[in-house]
Amino acid sequence: MADEVTGELKQKIIDYLKTVSKAKNKEVARDIGADKHVVDKAIAELSKEGVIEYVYLGASFIKLKGGE
Amino acid sequence: MADETPLLDELEKGPWPSYVKEIKRAAKKNKASKDLLGIQELSYKDRITHWKHGGIVGVTGYGSGVIGRYCDSPEKFPDAAAFHTFRVNHPAGWFYSTKALRKICDIWEKYGSGMTNFHGSTGDIILLGAPTENLQPCFDTLTENGFDLGGSGSALRTISGCVGKARCEWANIDTLDIVRDFTSEFQDEIHRPRWPYKFKIKASGCPNDCVAAIARADFTIIGTWKDTLRIDQAAVKNYAENGFDVKGLVVDKCPTDALEWDEKTKTLTLRAEDCVRCMHCINKMTKAIRPGVDTGATILIGSKAPIIKGAYLSWVLIPFIKIEPPYNEIKELLRKIWDWWDENGRTRERLAELIERKGFKTFLREMGIPPVPQMIYKPRANPYVFF
Repeated sequence: MADEVTGELKQKIIDYLKTVSKAKNKEVARDIGADKHVVDKAIAELSKEGVIEYVYLGASFIKLKGGE
Repeated sequence: MADETPLLDELEKGPWPSYVKEIKRAAKKNKASKDLLGIQELSYKDRITHWKHGGIVGVTGYGSGVIGRYCDSPEKFPDAAAFHTFRVNHPAGWFYSTKALRKICDIWEKYGSGMTNFHGSTGDIILLGAPTENLQPCFDTLTENGFDLGGSGSALRTISGCVGKARCEWANIDTLDIVRDFTSEFQDEIHRPRWPYKFKIKASGCPNDCVAAIARADFTIIGTWKDTLRIDQAAVKNYAENGFDVKGLVVDKCPTDALEWDEKTKTLTLRAEDCVRCMHCINKMTKAIRPGVDTGATILIGSKAPIIKGAYLSWVLIPFIKIEPPYNEIKELLRKIWDWWDENGRTRERLAELIERKGFKTFLREMGIPPVPQMIYKPRANPYVFF
């Protein structure tokens, strides 16, 4: 289903975050060409899994955990 | 850390409770609190804050609820070098058992400075000052004991509302249930920030608006009624006979001249179509006037404090809506608003600022809400010339 989080989508998000220092969810969705709602869900799951973390720099961003 | 704090000591003088006294009490048991005194003394001396803001702190799976605080002089104040804040989601109406309060204090004395702030301006329990290494164990212990974190950053902030039907006779809606239900429904939005900026929901049971929802929430729910005020003429007469100036204190103060007073018969009459439900007459004559029985809420939108643009008060989006569980209509509207805002908003742009930039008519069209005369931007403004 289109609104299901897949392992492939999560990997795409991880690969994208390797190319940037930080990003907003909607930037991730736009740049990997995926639906924002599904990306939101995938990012929430990645966060629970400890793969990504949130950064607050005036506004909130996400980044790979332990990344620069 | 300096043991002498002459500048801070000034704040212990006078008849009022002093936060300096409280920090000094905490400092007897906790080194971080002792360093906190030193940091503030130094700030007063240097006339500049010695705190840095933001950064990467958090607990597994959450993007919200922990706010990073680092001192810029860690070499001088090693015990308060990292002094992070927890925002703990408060229960609806801020009702606690003493057991729950003791529990949270025990947890906080174990993992943090022992200092708390009941409550933050959004309503959360604020736990002040934990070192980075204690964040995850403290969070784990809080959740094991039934507490959860509140919102921070670009997320849905902890939802709050007045005490409503639990303690107030004027509540037209069940604010406590709204807070509890919405908090459960929007857990992901509270804990995982992904929007342009913060978003606040507050509910007041009546237009007295004890939680100032109209001034502090992007999405404001205020209880109201659709029919007319209920006036008990015998009670009105009783007020008048006991020397209460019904005309001077109530009728003449009605903002829309909706009330009439007959001095001879001691009768108060209402032109219902002119009543704007300001609550003034009800507040003045609590035994004689009550809200109507066909209750619901007005939904307003947009209030905020200044960041990009100035302060806004909320304005009417839906003049009247029935408020009944499971609140699906309101939840759908919220999701639609968030989608539009997330799609179009710039970083740190609040909803009201986006509406002003894009135009209210664009917003209404996107939401599928027809324009109505009650959608005035401010009192006495032409409702059809908006933004």
